[in-house]
Amino acid sequence: MIKVTIDGRDVELEHPVTVLEAARKAGIEIPTLCYFEGLSPFGGCRLCLVEVEKLPKLQTSCTLMTADGMVVRTETEQIRAARRSMLEFLLINHPLDCPYCDKAGECELQDLVARYGPEAGRFAEGKRRHPESFDDPIIVRNMERCVLCTRCIRMCSELQASYSISVTGRGSHSFVEPFSGGRYDCEYCGNCLTVCPVGAIMSRLHRHSYRPWFVEKETETVCGFCGVGCSMVLQMRENSIIRAIPRRGVGFNEGLLCARGRFGYEYVEGGEELTTPLMRVDGELRQVSWEEALSFTARRLGEIRDEFGGGAVGAVASGRCTNEDNYMLQKLMRFVIGSNNIDSAARNYYAPAQIYLERIFGQGITANLIPGIANSDGVFVAGGDPTAINPILGLKIRAVWRSGGRVVVLGVPGGLKRFVPYELIPVPYSEEIVLSAIVGRLLERKPPGGANAALEAKLRDLRIPSDDELGSTGVSPEDVARVSEDLSSMSTPVVVIGPDMVQRRRASKSLFLLGAIAYLTNARIFLLADRPNYQGLLDMGCLPELLPGGRPVELEMFRHKAEEALGMKVPEQRGLNLFEMIDGAESGRLKALYVMGENPVFNLPDGVRVEKALGSLDLLVVQDVHLTETARLADVVLPATAWPEKEGTYTNLERRLQRVRKARRGKMASYGREDWRILADIAGRLGMTKTYQRVEDVWEEVMHVSALHTGLGYEEMDGGRALWPYYGEPLRGMEGDFTVEGLDGLPEVPAPERPYLMIERPLYHSGTFSRRSKALLAIQPGPYLKMNPELARRHGLTGGDKARISNGRGVLELEVRLDDDMPDNQVHVANTFEGFAAMRLAGFGTDPVTGALYMDDNTVRVEKVLR
Amino acid sequence: MDIMDEIRDLSRKYPDRRGALLPALYVVQKEAGWLSQEALDTVSRALNLPQATVKGVATFYAMYKHRPMGRHLIQLCTNVACMIMGAERLVDLISGRYGLEPGGTTDDGRFSLVIMECIGACDRAPAMLVDTDFHADLTADNIFEILEKYE
Ligand code: SF4
Ligand code: SF4
Ligand code: SF4
Ligand code: FES
Repeated sequence: MIKVTIDGRDVELEHPVTVLEAARKAGIEIPTLCYFEGLSPFGGCRLCLVEVEKLPKLQTSCTLMTADGMVVRTETEQIRAARRSMLEFLLINHPLDCPYCDKAGECELQDLVARYGPEAGRFAEGKRRHPESFDDPIIVRNMERCVLCTRCIRMCSELQASYSISVTGRGSHSFVEPFSGGRYDCEYCGNCLTVCPVGAIMSRLHRHSYRPWFVEKETETVCGFCGVGCSMVLQMRENSIIRAIPRRGVGFNEGLLCARGRFGYEYVEGGEELTTPLMRVDGELRQVSWEEALSFTARRLGEIRDEFGGGAVGAVASGRCTNEDNYMLQKLMRFVIGSNNIDSAARNYYAPAQIYLERIFGQGITANLIPGIANSDGVFVAGGDPTAINPILGLKIRAVWRSGGRVVVLGVPGGLKRFVPYELIPVPYSEEIVLSAIVGRLLERKPPGGANAALEAKLRDLRIPSDDELGSTGVSPEDVARVSEDLSSMSTPVVVIGPDMVQRRRASKSLFLLGAIAYLTNARIFLLADRPNYQGLLDMGCLPELLPGGRPVELEMFRHKAEEALGMKVPEQRGLNLFEMIDGAESGRLKALYVMGENPVFNLPDGVRVEKALGSLDLLVVQDVHLTETARLADVVLPATAWPEKEGTYTNLERRLQRVRKARRGKMASYGREDWRILADIAGRLGMTKTYQRVEDVWEEVMHVSALHTGLGYEEMDGGRALWPYYGEPLRGMEGDFTVEGLDGLPEVPAPERPYLMIERPLYHSGTFSRRSKALLAIQPGPYLKMNPELARRHGLTGGDKARISNGRGVLELEVRLDDDMPDNQVHVANTFEGFAAMRLAGFGTDPVTGALYMDDNTVRVEKVLR
Repeated sequence: MDIMDEIRDLSRKYPDRRGALLPALYVVQKEAGWLSQEALDTVSRALNLPQATVKGVATFYAMYKHRPMGRHLIQLCTNVACMIMGAERLVDLISGRYGLEPGGTTDDGRFSLVIMECIGACDRAPAMLVDTDFHADLTADNIFEILEKYE
């Protein structure tokens, strides 16, 4: 126990902390400037000076550790004079252009000077000149204002681990700059903006459009871009979002956001939102009243149900809609229309992977805490770049490296490149062989412990490749040995699984192997989620085979429970999945499709086929914020509210339930209606008697119907404390019941002549919403064709050229971007920009075991476009 | 040997890649006499260190140059000892003969002149470095004899 006296108060400490921290703990405020909670101490500004008895000089409390018996004073005349002098020094160069500075009002320097003075400076020297830099589309740099506290640099290197800025120059000539001296070309997380105490680096998004004290309202909500679910505060003025900021202490993201979360909110004010419902009249979409659209939709759905049975109707739920929205769509389909045909884009990989892993290990196997990753001593990543798909989760992996842990990535490490000790990049579609070899090595090192008999039985049948057989993968036996050695040396490992390990043939085997690695090393599993509410889709029963709570619809017991809870009937058979619905539409078996918050024409492979299939439906209803590619084909388009206008809940990839709150209300709000309300209205017209006043009423019903969510009300969710396991009952007894395709064989590694087209998942864009954000578009305006220089050379291409990629399904023309890190024989394109649907060019199939999408026949011809 | 390999070889002598940064910067500076953005990027790639880190370090030290230099770099000390022994006169002489101001480069790209703060040769002041050669006990008589050797 350490006892110190601060300003006459006795403070007892369990562990040695700095004097500053000890004082804060005791409720004594010491002014600081370069200190920032969570960053390493710097000791540069000397504003936190304190007197310590027996030490002759003033001490910086942010760096001085407490020692037993220390007597500290934090505000004496001597200290005040020293602080005044420090500020006088800072003001020698500071421009004092406060009236013009966006930071004024929340500027730490301004506040400190107001408190300590000096009233006037004694230095007559001219100030340092540094023209404001507008080279960057997002971040304005004004280095005349910089006080060189290095908070931004510590943020960028310690927490963001992007290392994009540094102090340039020396002494009074130094300033902060990205490498280029102009554009940042960094990860654009904006976390440096959060920590800058003055107006030296600021966002351009709201430049000179407000003063901090203009903020009329703050709404705490959860980011709508990915499955991490970062908390953020939306600051509003006149019903318009001024800015989205993170706040320490709110949410588990601890004051960090990524580019999408921080800058991407703008899409809601782009002016392209749908304002009224649309209906197809004489082949054209025309504006109609809500009443007209709703009654038409209900009538047609009813007619189709009555004529062809509920099974002729299907629905696509949305990973960006709330649990309440998705629950209501599910209810409309199953209980009102009588169809289990409900699925979503989570079918692409997340849902099948989750269900399959739960079949191996039990429900909740991936429900692990994101912040906990940082405490582990090793991470194994396969199937995608976490720093792009789930950026804040990616930061935790970087943190593992920073604290001396090991990061091993199977595939191109992308944003983890600087953090891996070696690269492990197999030839495309040979990953399964490499994983089998790794599992083989792990088994040699340590026989499994017997906890999971089903898994171990399958492991005995697993064909382990010989060193020769590894040959086709491009990964050497030494590499495999090294990986398995690294994996077995980890005591608290984490296995991160991304989409690319699922969207391939024999997904069950890849997942089984990754599961086996986790099992053999006793690792926690994380499944990356590129939409905010993929997990919620599963939990709300938006899958053809699962009822709310993740209960199989085909098991009578569960079906009856649900029927009893609602007093309505559900069909007994599992329904059609997303791809079966496309097939059904093609064959005429499916007559109507209700699409909520999803853009299948754009986001599914083989777009031409999807478009044709949707075109042949009797009724296509699309409910969305914008007129998407899919909405353009619809018979009825119903405008929905966007994320900042939603109330409800998201379930993130840790299975944390968090509340999404409405920020925009009133005259500026869009004309859309909440998704669940539209659905409840239609369900009412089709005979549902239950009515709902508020979104809480919907959630109450969820708690009633889903055994998983029993007793988990909104109050519990406030502050993100609704963590797995919930109060309800997880599903038991299904684990161990799984099959693995091709366990005893090794696949032939294809060697196509033409390069593969792979889908890039860029950090700055994630789809239909991000492409409408001006800020994100300013960072990355469009797609490009990424390839390595060697492949480019073989096709007579170089960076900046325009290239055409094509196959039987379509053609795209894109700018070539060379990337030394790209493996050979593949090109990458992001599927996020309007007019550039790369997915369209890929063929697909569904995995017979997991039901996941696999990309197939996805090679393309690459040629130069001559100008 | 390719410059990337040279840097990588060099880095093996240090416990970590950061340790090799200063010598690596010398290696690339040797090529062109100064450090362009491309040169900094080469170091960054060779050592797998962030570009910004490389730039931050490179701009901190005065011995790294960030704009093109003449073929030969004269670094003349004018600190106290050298000043007393007439270094400032030498500056004037150099300026007069080559039209070379401190901080500048001759039109023909032959010399650049940089004023140094002490090169640790006070006992033999005034002193200067030309490229990496050390010259001391300079006088108005011998200075051009020395400099004329550098083409
Ligand atoms: S935006 Fe993020 S990555 Fe870019 S400089 Fe700032 S902290 Fe670093
Ligand atoms: S830019 Fe801001 S945060 Fe960065 S060193 Fe300057 S004052 Fe500090
Ligand atoms: S990591 Fe995901 S949830 Fe967090 S800010 Fe980024 S996109 Fe939003
Ligand atoms: S806060 Fe302690 S020196 Fe800056």
